[in-house]
Amino acid sequence: MKRSLIFVAALAASALAGIGARAQDAPVTLTWQMWGQPNDAELWQQLADLVTEQYPDIKVKLQLSGWADYWTRLPVLAASGEIADIVSMQSMRLPNFYSILAPLDDYVKSGDVKVADFETSIMSGLSQGGSLYALPYDVGPWMVFYNRDKFAAAGLKEPAKDWTFDDFKADAKALTKDGTFGYGTQAFDFIAGPVALGADYFNDDNEFDLTNAGFVDAFGKYADLTAEDKLSPVFASAADASAASGRFASGNVAMYIDGPWSLITGQANVNFKIGVAPLPRGSGPSRFITAGSGWGISATSQHKDAAFKALQVLTGPKAAEILGSAGRALPARLAQQTAWYDGAAKNVAGTRETLEYMFAHTTPFRINDKWNQFENLVMQYVPLALTGDSKPDVVLSDIQSQLP
Amino acid sequence: MMLGKHTDMIARPRPRSRKWFRGEGWTALFFLLPGLIGIVLFLVLPILASIVLSFTNWQLLGSARFVGISNYVRLITTDPQFWTVLRNTLFFTVEYLVLNIIISLGLATWISSLKIGQRWFRVIFFLPTFTPLIAVAMVWMLIFTSGGLFDSLMASLSVPLAGVLNDRTLAMQAVVLTSIWAGVGYNTVLFNAALDMVPATYLEAARIDGATAWDRFWKIRLPLISPTLFFGTVMTAITSLQVFDQIYVMTKGGPGSSTATLGYAIYQRGFQNFQMGYASAIAWVMFALIMALTALQFWFQRKWVHYDA
Repeated sequence: MKRSLIFVAALAASALAGIGARAQDAPVTLTWQMWGQPNDAELWQQLADLVTEQYPDIKVKLQLSGWADYWTRLPVLAASGEIADIVSMQSMRLPNFYSILAPLDDYVKSGDVKVADFETSIMSGLSQGGSLYALPYDVGPWMVFYNRDKFAAAGLKEPAKDWTFDDFKADAKALTKDGTFGYGTQAFDFIAGPVALGADYFNDDNEFDLTNAGFVDAFGKYADLTAEDKLSPVFASAADASAASGRFASGNVAMYIDGPWSLITGQANVNFKIGVAPLPRGSGPSRFITAGSGWGISATSQHKDAAFKALQVLTGPKAAEILGSAGRALPARLAQQTAWYDGAAKNVAGTRETLEYMFAHTTPFRINDKWNQFENLVMQYVPLALTGDSKPDVVLSDIQSQLP
Repeated sequence: MMLGKHTDMIARPRPRSRKWFRGEGWTALFFLLPGLIGIVLFLVLPILASIVLSFTNWQLLGSARFVGISNYVRLITTDPQFWTVLRNTLFFTVEYLVLNIIISLGLATWISSLKIGQRWFRVIFFLPTFTPLIAVAMVWMLIFTSGGLFDSLMASLSVPLAGVLNDRTLAMQAVVLTSIWAGVGYNTVLFNAALDMVPATYLEAARIDGATAWDRFWKIRLPLISPTLFFGTVMTAITSLQVFDQIYVMTKGGPGSSTATLGYAIYQRGFQNFQMGYASAIAWVMFALIMALTALQFWFQRKWVHYDA
């Protein structure tokens, strides 16, 4: 009763222009909208408690929902004005949602946040139109997960950091036998894969240009692994986005493409040794895209200053260490990544070297507000290229024609 | 003022509608309120809102701008998907409707001819009707998934049919099969009940006059159950034009756009691409289509439905 009275008073005070700064001193309860399983709640609560530890006047109240629900709820909450003060955001969804977040540039300039402490590709991933909208807590590139036992049994050398697509294909061929496949393809491979081969799906104006010769060629290379060489099973248009990880865990496929965020659960599910390697490169140098998530401040928040203080703690070194050692996230803070390498990834060969190599070769992950639509179309149309029903260029022009 | 109105009403001959709202009318309205408020709030208002939305470019976030009929113009002239989606929807509806009516009528006739176990068969065929469609579609998706039960069955029969959900033409057939499995029970029970209502005396009289079983079915039973048959056909047509759950679970509209239907297109445009205004426009086109086809069926019923049983 008493606390809620104070809360109402704080709300009223901070709503009045001019005395916003003074309102900071009154106790504030911030809401924090986050995705996750119910058993993640404890971990996120630890982070919320860190904030109160440092700023006794600020309490952070966690609102947890499942990953898919989170993205359905977010626009609805924003449209109805019920959105939380601190909002979680994933880099690939930022172009659709940045308008509900407050730009952080001025806060960053006047606060103690050092941009250089964070991995650069994810800082640009959480920026839109030159403004930063969220501070990241994790980051990761798409990379190849492989079954080390199968590589050893087939007498193959483990992948080099700068292996080429031909090396990858040769390995997949050698590993395809006795009803199991060398590679398990998924929808996102057709985005991250061609980029690593040096192809671009955008033109210079950040518009989709899927039918350019380079992209058609690189896309075709990945499609042919399944359509021509039968090195991978076909995925269905309604397949779970993580269907290949199941096949990988059961030993049905020897390699598949995923991010470090899957490593901790992946390890728990398998009874063989996992290795990770960068995505294969084309004839040019390696280049990789990354994704990650972070937290921003709602544009309509009444407590933006307090929220930024909380944000600094939530994305601070101590929080990064907690998340890293729990295996929940590969920290976006470079100095704290060690916690993840030495903890979650200690049994996986080559994680540190692979990821350091990949972070040194990142390329900006270019997206626009049609990105969601594009990913769904890839899911829907790529199976036609995998069964050999349509040629890669036909599939790509079909997708392109639906992206106005 | 209330009093004045009241005396006024007594003085004059009362209009009929006013009369209804006196005494029991108000009580009835009061008891209707819980349902009525719900319907107005969650059905009537959203429907009205979606008309308004279909003339805007609302993107879920931010404010909407009035764009006139340009959503409808774009839908019919420039959207590369619309005609495909419409064709798929009509294809599904026709195939599913014909198969559903034939199979359910066949089953209903067969059940009504049974000497024992009628009730059991009715329950068995009705079971899928009260199983959630999402769950049904989930199971069939696993059956049809490449390397799944269906594939191994076909392989053991040496039929070269595998990965049907990845095939442009077969994916739709898989969706139809699933829908039939889930939807046939309702019509079966409906038609079976109607067949049981046909007076035995008519059939007996026909038999004495020498009518064969075939004649009795086509010339007596079928005309007598035609109102029920009509009801079943109209309701099945409406639900199949709205098909969504099976598509969402089994194919997500793919491969390519081979199973994309109007219902799925609305979901995709509205909730994946955040084009709420455009999705509302498609919803109204779907509504108009359903209305038109239902009106057509009502017009045709004069030719084959007999109410004078």
